[in-house]
Amino acid sequence: MTSSNMTCEAFDAALPDYLEGTLDGARRTSVEQHLGECVRCASLLKDIENISKEAAAMPDLVPSRDLWQGIEARIAAPVIPLATRPERQRRLVPAWMGVAAAALIVSTAGITYMLTARSIKPAQSGAVAQITPTTNQARPNNGPDSGAPATSPNLGVASSKRGGTPSGLAPSDGTPDRPRTPASFAKQTNADRAHSDLVYGREIDMLQRIVTQRRTQLDSSTVAIIERNLKIIDAAIEQSRAALASDPASRMLDQQLTHALDKKVELLRTAAMLPAST
Amino acid sequence: MAAASNVIRVAMGDSTDVALAAGGDRQAFERLYRMHANRVFSICARMSGSKARGEELTQDVFVRTWEKLPQFRGESAFSTWLHRLAVNVVLNARKSEGKQASRMDQGDVDDERWDEVARAPMHIERMDLAEAISKLPAGARKVFVLHDVEGYKHEEIGEMLGITSGGSKAQLHRARLLLREALER
Repeated sequence: MTSSNMTCEAFDAALPDYLEGTLDGARRTSVEQHLGECVRCASLLKDIENISKEAAAMPDLVPSRDLWQGIEARIAAPVIPLATRPERQRRLVPAWMGVAAAALIVSTAGITYMLTARSIKPAQSGAVAQITPTTNQARPNNGPDSGAPATSPNLGVASSKRGGTPSGLAPSDGTPDRPRTPASFAKQTNADRAHSDLVYGREIDMLQRIVTQRRTQLDSSTVAIIERNLKIIDAAIEQSRAALASDPASRMLDQQLTHALDKKVELLRTAAMLPAST
Repeated sequence: MAAASNVIRVAMGDSTDVALAAGGDRQAFERLYRMHANRVFSICARMSGSKARGEELTQDVFVRTWEKLPQFRGESAFSTWLHRLAVNVVLNARKSEGKQASRMDQGDVDDERWDEVARAPMHIERMDLAEAISKLPAGARKVFVLHDVEGYKHEEIGEMLGITSGGSKAQLHRARLLLREALER
């Protein structure tokens, strides 16, 4: 307590508003009187003012390393989920969307027609299925840098690259592992498979190049995990290919191969997008 | 005079590079990064209380900036827009870290527990201001950095953090008292 009739506790309570300059005239006068008489409170005010001044004058910090490489790798990654692409690329979107929409319509109509035709005229199914490779050729152009809304690797790769193979669709006879015309189906799936392998191969090569470039930026334990998982997936791919070679008409094996390839693309994309380690 | 022309050159360069980067020019974007990296890193490191985390967040900020640049309308200075985006990235990162973050950062306290924490002694040796700021409880650190270091107003801080401006004032005062104690002044 001082002659200003303000206690130190009352000063403490008033201090935030005093520092903000929001005290009314009378209260401000009381605080200033108290400050003139109380060493403890004057010292407190001076310290706080100094801390604020020092904080405002703190120089910028400098990162311990150049962060640009990590940033560049991420903005150059082939697929950027949730990204709003730059203006130059956004101008391309309407044209691309038209192609994608057309491809989707052709693909959907083709598959629907193919299934319908198969249930009515099994012998014609091979001819109908020839539509789908056209859609496959359109989708890869939607590539990673096009700003495609490929938030899932499955959208960007799996459904397009293997879309010509009716691998995800069970025929109506309840035998999902065999088409009604094994010979024609096998012939068709071989052609589709060759095409999809080419597209998958391109995508995987591109992603692997990015991951290899980024290898030194990633934590070594992360790299080890990625490599271990890639080996497992590669083994699954090899097994599926070997099994398909001996049973080319098996839709189940075709699905297995597609699934394994999707997993590989997904893992590589994730690795390509990982932030650099610290 | 030289200083003034420098300011003009920097301002002009910034706006040109912003426009180029918004159009997809990565070299222009790299120039923007070089110009603003330290400032953004300072915000990220001080708000997160960790230089290592600050580096990760700085990368996130510039990736986000690249994505959002086409939406920048030039209604404020690019640096103002960028710093605000940096603050949002730091705050959103903390939210998304969720339970893991709260387990890892025991200092991150919510408003209800603030008084209890503020009364507890910090038990730290004499240290410099930067280190003392990094040791503050997360809530107090964010408000202190935003107000005393970055110069945001309580109303703006309240909006960013989802608290009242009165809550922001209270946290700032507690932070200053804790810092004074840590600095043994």
